[in-house]
Amino acid sequence: MGDLTRVTIDFQTSHLIFPTLIACVLGLLGLAVLIRDRSKIAAAVPYWRGVLEGMDKLRFFGALVLTLLYFSLMVPVGNIWPNTGLGFLLCSIPYLLATGLLFMHERPLRQVLPLLIVAVVGPVFVWWLFTYPLFLSLP
Amino acid sequence: MLEILTPLFLSLIVGGTLVGIIFGAIPGMTATMAVAVCLPLTYSLGLENGLALLLGLYVGGISGGLVPAILLGIPGTPSSITTTFDGYPMAQRGEGEKALRIGIVSSFVGGIISLIVLWLFAPTLADFAIKFSYVEKFLIIFFAMTVMAALSSDMLMGVFSGVLGVFISLIGTYDISNGGNGELRLIPPGTEYWLESGFSLLPVLIGLFGLAAILEQAEIGVPKGHSAKDLQVGKSSSFSFRIFATNGVNLVRSSLIGTFVGILPGVGGSAASIIAYTNAKTFSKTPEKFGKGEPAGIIASESGNNGLTGGALVPLLSLGIPGDSTTALLIGAFTLQGIQVGPLFIGNNPVTWDAMIIAMLIANVAMFVMMYFAIRYFALVVTIPKHILFPVILMMCVIGAYTINYGIMFDVWTLLIFGVFGWLASKIGIEVAPFIIGFILGPSAEVYFVKSLESFGDLTIFFTKSWIAVLLWVLILGSIVGSVLMSRKQRRMNQ
Repeated sequence: MGDLTRVTIDFQTSHLIFPTLIACVLGLLGLAVLIRDRSKIAAAVPYWRGVLEGMDKLRFFGALVLTLLYFSLMVPVGNIWPNTGLGFLLCSIPYLLATGLLFMHERPLRQVLPLLIVAVVGPVFVWWLFTYPLFLSLP
Repeated sequence: MLEILTPLFLSLIVGGTLVGIIFGAIPGMTATMAVAVCLPLTYSLGLENGLALLLGLYVGGISGGLVPAILLGIPGTPSSITTTFDGYPMAQRGEGEKALRIGIVSSFVGGIISLIVLWLFAPTLADFAIKFSYVEKFLIIFFAMTVMAALSSDMLMGVFSGVLGVFISLIGTYDISNGGNGELRLIPPGTEYWLESGFSLLPVLIGLFGLAAILEQAEIGVPKGHSAKDLQVGKSSSFSFRIFATNGVNLVRSSLIGTFVGILPGVGGSAASIIAYTNAKTFSKTPEKFGKGEPAGIIASESGNNGLTGGALVPLLSLGIPGDSTTALLIGAFTLQGIQVGPLFIGNNPVTWDAMIIAMLIANVAMFVMMYFAIRYFALVVTIPKHILFPVILMMCVIGAYTINYGIMFDVWTLLIFGVFGWLASKIGIEVAPFIIGFILGPSAEVYFVKSLESFGDLTIFFTKSWIAVLLWVLILGSIVGSVLMSRKQRRMNQ
């Protein structure tokens, strides 16, 4: 019994011990979930079809695409004026405006105007706050 | 102690509480989201001031949820779900303001009782935990994970989510500063540059609690805001403190239930309010009135969920284990300032500890004063258009993720990855609270486990190290057996 429970840790490979153990436990748990929820998993295609049908595709995927564009453009734009945070500022204004317009249900000028003000003032304020008083770099 | 009370400290608590109430009062936004979004601001504030802001947000965010719960029948935060049961019927019969005031007073009492428990209990528990070796520390984490999984809505998925969180936290280098060998593991080829240090905690948290929540709102079409006409505040102000004379036991019991639930790791405010509400109904002489506008129901729900605030800080400050998702975020604030929470925290940082207690006290008082006397104005918060709020929050999430490690763009992508993961998790049944606690505790669990084996070279050490280890195994087995029995009972009830 004593030998069975004895463990020698090799320092060179000690980084693999816990991840291997956790991966095994995760695998077993995953298997248990697969067995228990097999009927649910078998019905995954209709389930996801239902999710897609029930969702507001324009707003959901629109928000995702806008966010992807926002993240992708921030650094290239920022590299034009390095270390100024202008990449963040110049990308945030259209991002806020576009996302706000996407999330709006009706778009009369009376509702768009406050959004436009927030889309400009918000990023400018944050850019100023982080660049000057807080001295934190932005892209 | 008085030197903590600077004008900045006080204004951050009051400002944080105000913003927290606003976040809590808007359906779809939570206290956790408020803390996640404002976390980066604490970087330049220093630890005490930063915590003042975050604790204000926490208390305000939990309390603000009662506003739409009562006036619109929509819980502002998950923890206010049971407030809708009796609050909304009261509002419908013109007693909205009375219901709000009952909720506010109950929230205040719940917050104060839990603060007293925190103040008395956390240092004692920390003193006890100081004696723990790696073995006991590992078992404490193991126990926390089993409790968390046991109290998940789906036990198997709860365990799976927690272990998945641990697994993802292990991506990157086995940290030399923690006694590791500095080798990389679990990194897909070609991603070594980005994943060398693994996923940073804060972008993960901001993604899971900020972006994911907005994606969920986008999925349902970002529901239109409510107009002032929808609010049923009512004109009659028949509220009297005398209502608590007959509900004193309910108030104290529910506050203590909330506090106890808060101490259990990974269990949120919704569980606290549901358990408190169920108990209030069980012990009531008129249970049939519950759900039809019974003030006792609001008292139980609101004192229960605010009782959570102090309780959830007990395991965080004494053991380094977060009591709920929001306190998990507070770990981020400590990390930003280079301070580790755990058994040594209170003893080594008495000023910070005092500051936290004072901040919680002032936040509760500020919440009470602001909400009690200006409730009609706070009610209007639910009319703020989401198409303006959400883009601003998304921008703040980006700022938070980017600045947390002094400007790493990969952290912004991490935010997106975990935002989408958080949305997917809600669809496939992965539970976010166990996942995040597993993610936070994973690296510590690894160090304690491996170091225990390195030191003693025998697996039996986990059972034989001390009487505390034995006690912890009894508790672990107790929580597993208890959860299996609860799960069976639930299944039978469902059938």
